Amino acid sequence: MSQKISLKEAERRAFSTTFQDGLWDIYIGCFALMFAIAPLLSRSLGDFLSAAAFLPLFGFVLLFIWWAKRNVVAPRVGTVEFGSWRKARMMKYNLVMLALLVIALILGALSTVDFGLVSGWVVAARFSLVMLAILSLLGYFLNSPRFYGYGVLAALSPLAGEWLYVNLKVPHHGLPVTFGLTAGIMILTGVALFVRLIREHPLPANDEGQSEATAE
Amino acid sequence: MTDERPSGDDLHPLAKIDQVIHAPARLMVLSYLYVVESADVVFLRNMTRLTWGNLSTHVSKLEEAGFLDVEKGYQGKKPRTVVRLTDQGRAAFRDYKKSMQQVLDDLPD
Repeated sequence: MSQKISLKEAERRAFSTTFQDGLWDIYIGCFALMFAIAPLLSRSLGDFLSAAAFLPLFGFVLLFIWWAKRNVVAPRVGTVEFGSWRKARMMKYNLVMLALLVIALILGALSTVDFGLVSGWVVAARFSLVMLAILSLLGYFLNSPRFYGYGVLAALSPLAGEWLYVNLKVPHHGLPVTFGLTAGIMILTGVALFVRLIREHPLPANDEGQSEATAE
Repeated sequence: MTDERPSGDDLHPLAKIDQVIHAPARLMVLSYLYVVESADVVFLRNMTRLTWGNLSTHVSKLEEAGFLDVEKGYQGKKPRTVVRLTDQGRAAFRDYKKSMQQVLDDLPD
């Protein structure tokens, strides 16, 4: 055998495969969609309620992801339980994400308090940094380079929105436009990946796979 | 005159190569199972690109050798077969890796 066998690469490949179904993209796209639509609702519902109004949507999307993983992805791609090294890495990821979310909450709270005092650019820059950090870390821990791209897109959204607001007087700091576009790209990518997975991995006819693969 | 033919001992690492593991398809199956805790056969088939028939043959052979633990069950109404390396299989694969490294490292470029 002339090809070098890399066990690390095999593990990485096995892990990445489980995130090529596009469902994470759709989920993150829904978050971006929240940033696009919440400002439109904030005048009538207030800042908190306009964001909270999205909880049912997230619940629905999570339910869809659970259903799709179980009934669409697993029968086609299969399921795998990863080893302790990967589990420890994901635990580290959860802790880092928790810390980042706390920082994001503090920055978000600060933004509502000092919005009139500091420039909109400062608020947008903080928002951008948090977005970039969260999505880049997601890309790093999931071994999925396209999340770095999403990080850049999401980080540009508040800054581009602020530019639209300052120069073209686009309402709500331009967030509905910029995050709307970002959300659209993420959700469309997710849907395209999901459709591709279904087309590339048709269901084995009459369960031939599971029973035949282990027939005595 | 001295006999310069290699003795059995010179080829010791090569002789130790486990023939059950050494087949490329089985090596692929074991490599994936070595780096994860367990996987179902659908996942293994996708990763190795083997046909169902081939995968079946190789999984059975590895199970016979005591390297794999095959658990047949159901998820809902659909059959689901989960495969994992046994301790013996993990040890055998580790030995195989070591033997191959020994053999290949000594070869000139």
